[in-house]
Amino acid sequence: MSSKISITRRVTLLFAAASSVVLLVLGFVVATAVEHHFEHQDVELLKSKVALARDTLASLKSPGDLALLVQLLEISLASDLDSQMLIVGFNKSVLFSNGDVHFPLVEVFDSAQKRPLQPMVWKMSNQNYRVITMVLPTGISSASRVAVAVATSIAHHEAFMRSFLYTLWLFVAGAAGLTGLLGWAAARRGLAPLRAMRQQAQVVTAQQLSHRLAVDSVPIELAELAQSLNDMLARLEEAFRRLSDFSCDIAHELRTPVTNLMTQTQVVLSKPRDVEAYRDILASNADELERMSRMISDMLLLAKAENGLVVPNRETLHLADEVRLLFDFYEAVAEEKGIQLATEGDATVGADRLMLRRALANLLSNGIRHADVNSTVQVRLDDASEAVTISVENSGETIAAEHLERIFDRFFRVDPSRRHSSEGNGLGLAITKSIVLAHGGTIDAASSGLATRFTIRIPHHHTDLT
Amino acid sequence: MKILIVEDEQKTGDYLKQGLTEAGFQVDLAREGVDGLHFALTENYDLAILDVMLPGIDGFGILAGIRRAGKDMPIMFLTARDAVDDRVKGLELGADDYLLKPFAFSELLARVRTLLRRGGKAPSDPFFRAADLELDLLRRRVTRAGQRIDLTAKEFALLELMLRRQGEVLPRSLIASQVWDMNFDSDTNVIEVAVRRLRAKVDDAFSPKLIHTVRGMGYVLECHD
Repeated sequence: MSSKISITRRVTLLFAAASSVVLLVLGFVVATAVEHHFEHQDVELLKSKVALARDTLASLKSPGDLALLVQLLEISLASDLDSQMLIVGFNKSVLFSNGDVHFPLVEVFDSAQKRPLQPMVWKMSNQNYRVITMVLPTGISSASRVAVAVATSIAHHEAFMRSFLYTLWLFVAGAAGLTGLLGWAAARRGLAPLRAMRQQAQVVTAQQLSHRLAVDSVPIELAELAQSLNDMLARLEEAFRRLSDFSCDIAHELRTPVTNLMTQTQVVLSKPRDVEAYRDILASNADELERMSRMISDMLLLAKAENGLVVPNRETLHLADEVRLLFDFYEAVAEEKGIQLATEGDATVGADRLMLRRALANLLSNGIRHADVNSTVQVRLDDASEAVTISVENSGETIAAEHLERIFDRFFRVDPSRRHSSEGNGLGLAITKSIVLAHGGTIDAASSGLATRFTIRIPHHHTDLT
Repeated sequence: MKILIVEDEQKTGDYLKQGLTEAGFQVDLAREGVDGLHFALTENYDLAILDVMLPGIDGFGILAGIRRAGKDMPIMFLTARDAVDDRVKGLELGADDYLLKPFAFSELLARVRTLLRRGGKAPSDPFFRAADLELDLLRRRVTRAGQRIDLTAKEFALLELMLRRQGEVLPRSLIASQVWDMNFDSDTNVIEVAVRRLRAKVDDAFSPKLIHTVRGMGYVLECHD
């Protein structure tokens, strides 16, 4: 059956069907009992007539008494108009018959011998009769045995059963309708919480994703569903919020450089200048545009990572080698600040070379940027059985806890005035985190006692986020 | 050197054509895939630069057509789609390089020159010279005006790159990738510092100056006479 039938209709139909079945069974039982009762009554009556015939036949002594038989029986049966009796000698001579019913003689002999006293229903003279037959002895020696058939009309019983069944059918139909109606009302009432939920759900729109279904006020059967729906809403809201934050961030971060570019260009265009001035402004525009272009690439990478589209192309990496390579790259910059780059330990991990290098480069560049002059940026590698850990630690101003928890957010800068300085675009740590997550790892930051440490943990046995 | 550009975006196409023409190349520009393939098959080019998303036949289609015709000039893709499978597809089909939009023109120019050089003769000469600066690849020695200059390994590699590609403006990203194998947009000030230090050793005490900053583009080593 199609699952599209409404629950109300389904419950209504089930109610009606169930009550019909119950009433029909009940009606059948009652009708059978009544029929049995009628049959029993009839048989008792017929047996009493047979007994009468037996007594009367036994009292006969000579063939001459046969006339007496008729007289005796007619008197005995006079009060009972429904009962018919036939007594036939074995020579097929009818000894007695009252009423105008024509018994079939062959069947009378046959059943009297084979099924004595068994009730049967015979159709005689266009009416149904209940009949019993029997062979009885007589006191007359020349006709010592006779067949007796006693019948009683069951027409009024049949009429009663017809009207009884008719009433029963009417009643069942009515009751089915009524219980269906009750079922409909019960279903509607029972499903009221569902309608309430629907109304609540209709309130939820893209602008109102924070709305939740009331879990406490719905019946327990629905509470789980409501909870699941709420969880789904929460996930949707989170995804939606990220998406809108993302657009917001892009617009916000691009607004300032675009304003700068526009102002700068228009100011320069506002009056004639020498070639050198034009060259200057174009070069400065190019720098700014390059920064924006890099930001766009970074944002795209982050967007892909958030959607699980960044899949590491794993190979075996010797982290000490990677770190040395990065030290080569940053050596000059570090040296200018009088910063030492130091590494200890080694570890081997299956990771995407380019991605991991980028993640570490961001941490290292971040460490060098924030390290105190004449201090050391320390990289530690540790290869444990389950995971490798890579930590990058620099001494420098402690980062406050409330800043630390947001440090991996896009565009988050501890010092907002550093925005648009040449020092990166505020996406480095976010990218690092997304790379680590894509490798199934974790990253955290700790800062205390004038030292800040970032720790990456990449498990050996990974399940890539895809 | 003759280059074919197939790019449907009006301005991008125009500027690429202007830029490459001014860099000394002969440039044909097609704005549709069908025209592009027609150009590629009827003319002889040293390099083709193809946008991936094109009306008619897309970049992959043109590339396949070119290769089917038995032409083996280097091909570079420009794409705004940076899905990994596109890269794989492009490289599998025989593209030689790709650039993701947005890209810097200096980067494109540097890559174009790399591709064109790849096909040509490999300079086997282990000596590089610019004015009185000399670099001996075999003995790993650098002298300026006869004076020996001590360079770190990376400084040596940087100078070698700049000498090899004398007169070409090298964008910072190219330098990072060629010298340090950092194939992503990294801190640009790392390159600035490295170039400044190299300059201090190679240029500061000497004349004429050889290493120049081209603002907004990168660095170039050349002898301004």
